[in-house]
Amino acid sequence: MRKKIFHSILATSLAALLISLIAATGALYQHFVKIQEQQLHRELMLAARAVEQSGLVYLENLDTGDLRITWINADGTVRFDTEAVAAEMENHADREEVQKALEYGEGSSHRHSATLTEKTIYHAVKLKDGTVLRVSVGHATVIALIAGIIPVFVLAAVIVAALARLIAKHMTGKIIAPLDHVDLERPLENEAYEELAPFLMRIHRLHEQSENQLAQLRQKADEFNHITGNMKESLVLLDEKGVILSINPAAIALFSTSQNAVGMDFLSVDRSHEISSAIHTAKSQGHAVARVARNGRIYQFDISRIESGNEIIGLVILAFDISEQEYAERTRREFSANVSHELKTPLTSIIASAELIKNNLVKPEDMPRFVGHIHQEASRLLSLIEDIIRLSQLDEGQDIPRETVDLGALATEVVDQLRDTADKNNVRINVSADECLLQGVPRLLHEIVYNLVGNAIKYNVDGGKVDVSVTKTQTGGVLKVSDTGIGIPFEHQHRVFERFYRVDKSHSKLSGGTGLGLSIVKHAAAYSGAGIALQSAPGKGTTITVTFYSRP
Amino acid sequence: MMRSRFDEQLALLNREIIEMGALCEEVISLASSALSEGDMKLAAQIEPLDRIIDQKERDIETLCIRLLLQQQPVARDLRQISAALKMITDMERIGDQADDIADIIMSLNGRTVEEHSHINEMATATMKMVTDSVDAYVKRDIALAQAVIDYDDVVDECFICVKKNLIKMIAANPDDGEYALALLMIAKYFERIGDHATNIAEWVVYAVTGIHKEITP
Repeated sequence: MRKKIFHSILATSLAALLISLIAATGALYQHFVKIQEQQLHRELMLAARAVEQSGLVYLENLDTGDLRITWINADGTVRFDTEAVAAEMENHADREEVQKALEYGEGSSHRHSATLTEKTIYHAVKLKDGTVLRVSVGHATVIALIAGIIPVFVLAAVIVAALARLIAKHMTGKIIAPLDHVDLERPLENEAYEELAPFLMRIHRLHEQSENQLAQLRQKADEFNHITGNMKESLVLLDEKGVILSINPAAIALFSTSQNAVGMDFLSVDRSHEISSAIHTAKSQGHAVARVARNGRIYQFDISRIESGNEIIGLVILAFDISEQEYAERTRREFSANVSHELKTPLTSIIASAELIKNNLVKPEDMPRFVGHIHQEASRLLSLIEDIIRLSQLDEGQDIPRETVDLGALATEVVDQLRDTADKNNVRINVSADECLLQGVPRLLHEIVYNLVGNAIKYNVDGGKVDVSVTKTQTGGVLKVSDTGIGIPFEHQHRVFERFYRVDKSHSKLSGGTGLGLSIVKHAAAYSGAGIALQSAPGKGTTITVTFYSRP
Repeated sequence: MMRSRFDEQLALLNREIIEMGALCEEVISLASSALSEGDMKLAAQIEPLDRIIDQKERDIETLCIRLLLQQQPVARDLRQISAALKMITDMERIGDQADDIADIIMSLNGRTVEEHSHINEMATATMKMVTDSVDAYVKRDIALAQAVIDYDDVVDECFICVKKNLIKMIAANPDDGEYALALLMIAKYFERIGDHATNIAEWVVYAVTGIHKEITP
């Protein structure tokens, strides 16, 4: 900038200098030439008068200075000259000024010297005797004048250049200073000369624009982080080379890495063969799924390619915990296998008996036993189906109306119902029940008590004991059923609430249970908002505690 | 421009080595499970993986040589590449030995290994060494690499223990000598795999620090 300013100042000054010099020289030259010519004319007239009166004597005694006077005869021969010997001079008849003087009485002309730097002006006049008197004077031409001016001009130019440099420096400093100190964060608060205002205004606008865009970007990034941060699923974004672009907290936990993983190669976070081969598949085919066990749980990895145009720009890895689904799937498979087996067993037995009767293979005296067997098996089948229906109702979660129930009275009633069975098994049964009012579904509460007490009798030993107690608490009530029965081994304790789960597979026929009792208890308790606790020691007995809350 | 292309190729080399390491972990874990469960199906999965490992070794070797010729790396980059060249040889040997173990397991016809033979412990210890050595490479973790080198003694002790047990076994039941020898071979392979893992760990230390136990006085 400084250079530009310097150059323009210099150019302007030099141009001004040159123009004024040329103009002044031109005007002065014109003026002087005119004055000189007039003077020359006057001198010629004076000399002519003097020559006419005194003749050659005047000329010979005249001190002419730089003026040259020539006296020419009418035929052109030179009679006298102040600077040369007249006899040696050539004939002057053909000279322009002499011809003009002979013809018109007066004439003038000028001739340049060979180098053009000098110009000679001639004036001639015709005297009364027919001769011609001529004066001439030489003076410098314009070119000579200009040549004389050049050194002055160069000197002036050098001075101008130095000045221009100084001024340029000063001016650039002045122009730049406010720019140097402009506060770009707050452009409008700057104090600068007015020419800068539009510039500052534009910066201000750009500033605002970029701030808006930045805020928008930040908001979007925040939204993205917030969403992915609260996702239960693990999400990892990779670029086309497999470098991690983004990893959410769930994924950080899953791969046991840290936030620093961003920018690292995914392989250095997880290099398991299943996932890396799924990544390869996703790269070539667009999508891949892998099920991998991690930290004791099962995860499904969904890997998809991200494309833009025809180029792969990255990969998304989405992993979710499918342990529950896997477990549920397994339970469902087991359940359907169990249910078909349980339903088939009594039916096979019924059909076998019925076939024997049909083919008259049963003796009449055996008939009641066979029919009794069919009846027994059919009843078992019916109760099984009823249990399954009840369970599926509970599964469906139908809204069954609640009413106030006295758990104590209910327990006493159930114990009375089961006393016969207990007597048959030679089991003593004690009940101690407070009045305990709860909000609940009577049928479900009945199921809970009936199944628990029923089990306590069923899985008891000869001469065993069952204690049923209902205690009222501040928050609701507690039902406790303890027996002195066979107990449940520790490794089975967490599974006894599963459908059809039996500790002793061979025992089912003997006890006549369906294998669904505790499952029904579990679902009914869950529906009633009650908690179940199981304590058991093999050979010593089992205690099941159900804690009810009055406001489930 | 040149440098960024070089960096890209180094990153590729890094990825390839991690993948090869992961494959080694996979084969040895398969070998270990196949041995403890007497599962021939698992053992049969090893061979195709070993072939992938061999292919990887050739690929990485080509990549390393191309890098050396075209980029003429110096200092740290040169160490990285020469360490890689040495490491893949050890990794390839691990793959081969796992395959050899698989062959022996197949010849055992599903017979599981006796608990007291300690050979399963040895398999677990070796597996840990391989996993840790690859981890040390991934994280450039010198402390972990050193731990792997030290852990080799545990595997060696294990081998001596297994050997003693097998001698007792032959003495007690000379008819089963062939089986005992097969187990001895397996144990020896595991012991060798441990040595290869140690080598890998040493090359990791070299790549990071420039100091190798055996080439530096």
